[in-house]
Amino acid sequence: MHLTVIQIIMLTLLAFIKHVDYYGIPMLFVNYPVFWGLFTGIIMGDIKTGLVVGGTVQLMSLGVAGFGGSSVPDYGTTAIIATAFGAAVGKQAGLAIGLPVGMLGVQLDVIVKILNGFVVKKSQEYNNNHQYKKMNAILWLGPLFFGLSAAIPVFISVTLGQAAVNFILKSLPSWFMGGLTLAGKLLPAVGIAMLLKYMPAAKYINYLLIGFFFAAFLKVPIIGVAIFGFALAFAVYKQAEKEGEWKKSLQNTQSFVGEDE
Amino acid sequence: MNKMSDNNYDSQGRYIVTKKDLRKANYRWLMSVCTFNYQTQQGGSVAYALSPILRKIYKNDDDYTKALNNHFQYYNTQPWLAGIILGACVAMEEKQGLAAKDAVQDFKVGTMGPLAGIGDSLLMTMIPTIMGSIAAYMALKGNMFGILLWMALIFVIFFLRMRAFEFGHKQGVKIITEYGDKINYLTEAASVLGLTVVGALIASVITVTTPVKFKFGAVAMKIQPMLDKILPAMIPVAITWFSYYLLTKKKISMTWLILLIIVFAMFMSAFGILA
Repeated sequence: MHLTVIQIIMLTLLAFIKHVDYYGIPMLFVNYPVFWGLFTGIIMGDIKTGLVVGGTVQLMSLGVAGFGGSSVPDYGTTAIIATAFGAAVGKQAGLAIGLPVGMLGVQLDVIVKILNGFVVKKSQEYNNNHQYKKMNAILWLGPLFFGLSAAIPVFISVTLGQAAVNFILKSLPSWFMGGLTLAGKLLPAVGIAMLLKYMPAAKYINYLLIGFFFAAFLKVPIIGVAIFGFALAFAVYKQAEKEGEWKKSLQNTQSFVGEDE
Repeated sequence: MNKMSDNNYDSQGRYIVTKKDLRKANYRWLMSVCTFNYQTQQGGSVAYALSPILRKIYKNDDDYTKALNNHFQYYNTQPWLAGIILGACVAMEEKQGLAAKDAVQDFKVGTMGPLAGIGDSLLMTMIPTIMGSIAAYMALKGNMFGILLWMALIFVIFFLRMRAFEFGHKQGVKIITEYGDKINYLTEAASVLGLTVVGALIASVITVTTPVKFKFGAVAMKIQPMLDKILPAMIPVAITWFSYYLLTKKKISMTWLILLIIVFAMFMSAFGILA
C-alpha cells in the first residue's frame, strides 16, 4: 500500500466534501457510491478501478436511502476506501476494508445527529438573546461535524491500513456496536412519531391504517402508496370544497334573511 | 423608515421581498440537512435560510426573534422540494407579519409529510434505483456514459431546485390572495396523503426484527415468522406507537425519548432480543 502524502490529503478532503454534500451543501451526488468511486479513481490515477469498485458498491446500496433522517450504512465512504485500496492491492481486498468502515458510518451518523441537537439548541439560545450573528455562525458546526464523520475514518483507514481498522473494530465492545446499529434502526420510529404528533393522526387514523396495510401486507412500494394516497387526498379535497361552498351559501342565505327582517 | 424612499417598501412601510432576497434564501437553504438533529431535525437550517429575509420583514428585534423561533421548530421534509414551501411561508409573513405565524406553522407541518413522501420515493428512491443501476452496470464494464447521464439529470434537478423559493413565493402570494380558504382544504387533503404515506413508512423504513428462538430439544422455533403471521412489522408498529404515546400522552421531550431508545437498544442488542 503506497500512497503519497498528497493522495492521502486529497482522499481525506474528498470524503469531507462528500459528506457535506450528502447532508446539503450542495447535495449533488448525495452519497451515491458510483460517483465517489469515480472521483477516487481519478485521485488514485486509476479510473478503471474507480468505475468497477464504485459500480459494485452502488449495486450493493440500491434501495438503501436515509428517509426522514434514518441512519444507513455509509456506502459513499465504502466506495472511497475500497477504491483507494482496490487501486493499490486489488478489488476484493479493497471491499474487505471499505465495507466495515461503511458500517461504522451508521454509528458516527447517530453521534453527529445527537451533537447537532446541542448546536441547534445553542443557536436558538443566541436568537432568544438577540445575538443573531452567533446564532447563524454556530450552525456551521453541523456541516463540519458531518464532514469529519467521513473524513476521519477515511484518513485513519488510508494511513494506518487494514490492521488498524480491524483493531478499532475489535476493541469496541460488541454491545456498544450492536446497540448503536439497533438504535439507528429504531430512531426513525421517533421521527415518525414526531410527525404523527404534528399531523391529525387521531382524526384520520383510517388513512394511516390504509397506508400501513398496503406496505406491510401487500408489499406495495412507497411510490405506489403515494399514488393511492394522492387519489384519497383528491377525493377529500373535492369533498371539503363542496362542503365549504355549501356552508358559504348557507351563510349567505341566512345573512340575506337577516337583512330582510 | 428612512428606507421608505427605496421601492422595497409598500405604502404602509412593509418590506417587499425581492428576487435577490429569495435567491439568497435559496443558497442558504443548501445547508438543509447539515444541521440535522433528533429534536428539531431540519429546523436549524430553516431558521438559517430565512434569517436575512425575516430580518428585513421584521425590523423590531423582539418580532424577529419570535418569527425565528417559529422556524426553529421541528421541520423535516425532502430538502429539494422544501424551498417551494418555505418560499410560500415568506410570502405569508411578508403580507401579514407575525399574524401569519400560526398559519405558517400549520402550512409547514401540513405539507412536509406529503412532500417527504413524494420526494423521498421519487427523488431518493426511484431515480437512484433506475439511474444507479444503469450507471453501475455500465461502470462495471469500464463505461462512464451511465454516470455522465445521471450527472446531467442531477444538474437539471439542481437548476430547478435553485428556483424553488421564487416559485413558492409567487404561488404563495397567489394562494393567499386568490384561493383564501381553499388552503384549508388543501392542507386537509395534504394530511390525508401524508398519513397514508406515513402509514407505509412505518412498515418499510423501520426494519427491526427479533432473532429470538425457542428450543424444544432438537427443534428450534423462531419467533419472527410467528409474529409476521399475526401482523407484519409488528415490532416497528409497537415502537412507533410507544414513541407516539410517550410524546403526546406523557409529554416526554424528544431528547429524553432518544436517550431512552439508545439505552433500550443497547440492552436489547446485548441480550439478543432485537436486531
